[in-house]
Amino acid sequence: MKSEFFTVLRSPVFWGAIILLALGPFVLPSYYLHIATLTLIYIALASSWNIVGGIGGQISLAHSLFVGTGAVLSSALLLKLGINMWLGMVIAALVSGLMGAIISFIDFRFRLGHLSFALITLAFAEMGEIIVIGTEALGGASGLFLPKDKGDLLAFQFGSGAGIFWVMLTLAVGAILINLAVLNLPLGFYLRTIRDNEAAAQAIGVNILRNKTIAMVISAMFTSVIGTAYARYLTFVDPYQLASPVLTVEIVLIATVGGLGKAFGPALGAVLLIPLGEILRGKLGGSLPGLHYFVYGAVVIAVILATPRGLLPALQSRLASWRGSAKSEAKKPSIAAPGA
Amino acid sequence: MDELLQALAQGFLVGSTYGLLALGMGLIYSVSGLVNFAHGDFFSLGMYLCFALFSAFALDPYVSLVITLPAMMLIGAGVYQFLIRPIAGHHLLMVIQLTLGLALLVQNGILMVFGGQFERTPSIVESKLVLLGPVVVRMPHVIACLASFGIAAALYVLLRSTDWGRAIRSVHQNAKAAALMGIDVGRVRMLTFAAGLGLLAIAAALIVPGTPMHPSLGLRYTVITLIVMVLGGMTNFVGIMLAGLVIGISEALGTIYLSDMLGMLMPYLIFVVIMLLRPQGLLKAA
Repeated sequence: MKSEFFTVLRSPVFWGAIILLALGPFVLPSYYLHIATLTLIYIALASSWNIVGGIGGQISLAHSLFVGTGAVLSSALLLKLGINMWLGMVIAALVSGLMGAIISFIDFRFRLGHLSFALITLAFAEMGEIIVIGTEALGGASGLFLPKDKGDLLAFQFGSGAGIFWVMLTLAVGAILINLAVLNLPLGFYLRTIRDNEAAAQAIGVNILRNKTIAMVISAMFTSVIGTAYARYLTFVDPYQLASPVLTVEIVLIATVGGLGKAFGPALGAVLLIPLGEILRGKLGGSLPGLHYFVYGAVVIAVILATPRGLLPALQSRLASWRGSAKSEAKKPSIAAPGA
Repeated sequence: MDELLQALAQGFLVGSTYGLLALGMGLIYSVSGLVNFAHGDFFSLGMYLCFALFSAFALDPYVSLVITLPAMMLIGAGVYQFLIRPIAGHHLLMVIQLTLGLALLVQNGILMVFGGQFERTPSIVESKLVLLGPVVVRMPHVIACLASFGIAAALYVLLRSTDWGRAIRSVHQNAKAAALMGIDVGRVRMLTFAAGLGLLAIAAALIVPGTPMHPSLGLRYTVITLIVMVLGGMTNFVGIMLAGLVIGISEALGTIYLSDMLGMLMPYLIFVVIMLLRPQGLLKAA
C-alpha cells in the first residue's frame, strides 16, 4: 500500500502534467491565467481541508479562520510592525496550528458529535470574522492593502502573473502530495479507522486525540500558508472575503463534490467548479445580478444528484465497470461497482 | 433599570420568533435527520412573497398568509420529493451541500426578481405601540410573540395526540420499525418538510412588518436558527422555544451593555459554552 505515494512520485504522467501546467503563463491570456491561478488556490485549499474533513471525516467549518489568519495576520504584521512577510507567514502558520490543536482538544475533551463539531467550528469561524472586522489593528472592516508586487522574492513578492501562478502551482501540488503521503502513512490508516468507527478504533488502541490533532494541525498550518499567498495574490486583504465562513462553505463544497477522502478528489472538484463559477461570472455577471450564482447553484445541485458519492468515485467506478466489461466478455459477467 | 427592562422585553419578543424559525428546522430534522442549510433563504423567500403580494395587491402580510402558506408548503413538498429524497442515505455532507446549492438558488432567484436594495413591507398594525409599564414595544412584535407561543403549543399537542404526530414521532424513533408498522415513511417525511416550510411562511408573515429585508440575509438567519435548534436539543420543542429566548435576550443585552463587537459575539459565545457544558442542549431531547 505504501507504494501508492511513490508510484505517483515516480509517475511520468504526474510530473509531465505539472510541467505542462507550469508552461501555462507563457500561453494563457491574462484573464485565463487568473482563472487558472484561482483554480490552483482552491485545489490547494480544498485538498488541505480534505486531510481533516475527508480522510479524517471531521466536518470542520473553521477553515476560514486559518485562511484568515494566514492572510490578515501576516499582512497586518507587515503593514503595522514592518515584519517581513516570510516571517509573518511562519508566525501565522504557527498561530493557525495552535488554534487547530485547541479545536482538536475541545473536540476530544467534550466528545463532540459530528453535527456539534461542525456547528462549534462554524461558531468559531463567525467569531473570527467578527473579531477581525472589529479590530482596527487587523485592518477592521475596510481591510488591508499590501504594497505593489515588484517581484522582490525576499519581501514575499513573486511578480504578478507568472510568478504567483508558479507559487500557487507549488502549493496545489504540495497539498495533493501531503494528501497522498497521509493516506499512505500509518496516520492515514488511523484517521480512516477513526472516521469509520471511533469506538472500535479506540478499542484496538488507536490514539484518537493524537491522530486527530496531527491531522488538524497539518491542515491548519498548510491552509494558513495558502492564505498568506492568497493575500499576496489579491493585494487587497478583504476580511469579508478571506475571513468569512462563506469561504469555508466554498472549500467544503468543492471537496465534497469532487470526492471526499480521495487524494485527487478535491482537485477534480476545484477544476470543475472554479472555472465554471468564474466563466459564468464573466458571461452573465453583467447582465442580471444574481443570475450567475443562480446557474452555479443549479449546476451544483445537478452534479450532486447525478453523482451523490462524489465525482471522482463515480468516474472511477464508471472506468472500472468499463474495463471490467471489456475484460469479462471472454470470462464471466462484469462485476459493476455498487451504484454504477 | 428601564433600559434593562426594555432590552429584556425586546430580546424576549425577538427570541420567541427565533424559536418559531427553529421549530420548522427541528421538525424537519426530527424525521429525516436533515439539517436544512437553505432554511434562512426559504424564510427570506416567505418574506419576499409577502412583499410581492403587498406591492401587487396591497395585501396586508397577515392576510397574504392565505396564499403564501400553501405556496411554501407546495415548494417544500416538491423540494423534498425531487431533490432530497433521491440522495437520502448518502453522506451527510452531500445532503448538506445540496441544501447549500438550494440556498444559492433561492437567494439569487430573489436577487434577480427583486434586486439588491433593502425592502420593507408595511402592515396596518406596524406603527401601533404597546405600553407595558415603563416598557414600550411595537405591536407586530407582540403579535409575533403571542403567535409563536400559540403555534409552538399547537404543534406540541399535534405531535402528542394526533395520528400524524404519532407517525412523525415513530419515524423519528426508528424509521425501519415505523415502515414495518405500515407507516409510509417517505410520505411522512415529505409532509413534514412541507409543514416545516409552512411554519416558515407563518414566521415570515409575523416578522415581515417593519423588518428590513435583503436577499443576502438568508445565511445569517440559517446560522441563528441552527444555533437555536442545537441549543434547544434538536427535537425538543419546549427546549427550542427556550433557546430562542436565551439567544434573543443575550443579543439584546449584548448590544446595549457591551460594545457592538461583543454584542455580536455574544450569541456565538453562549452557544459554544452551553454546547461544551450541556452537549444535549438546554433540555433533554424528548
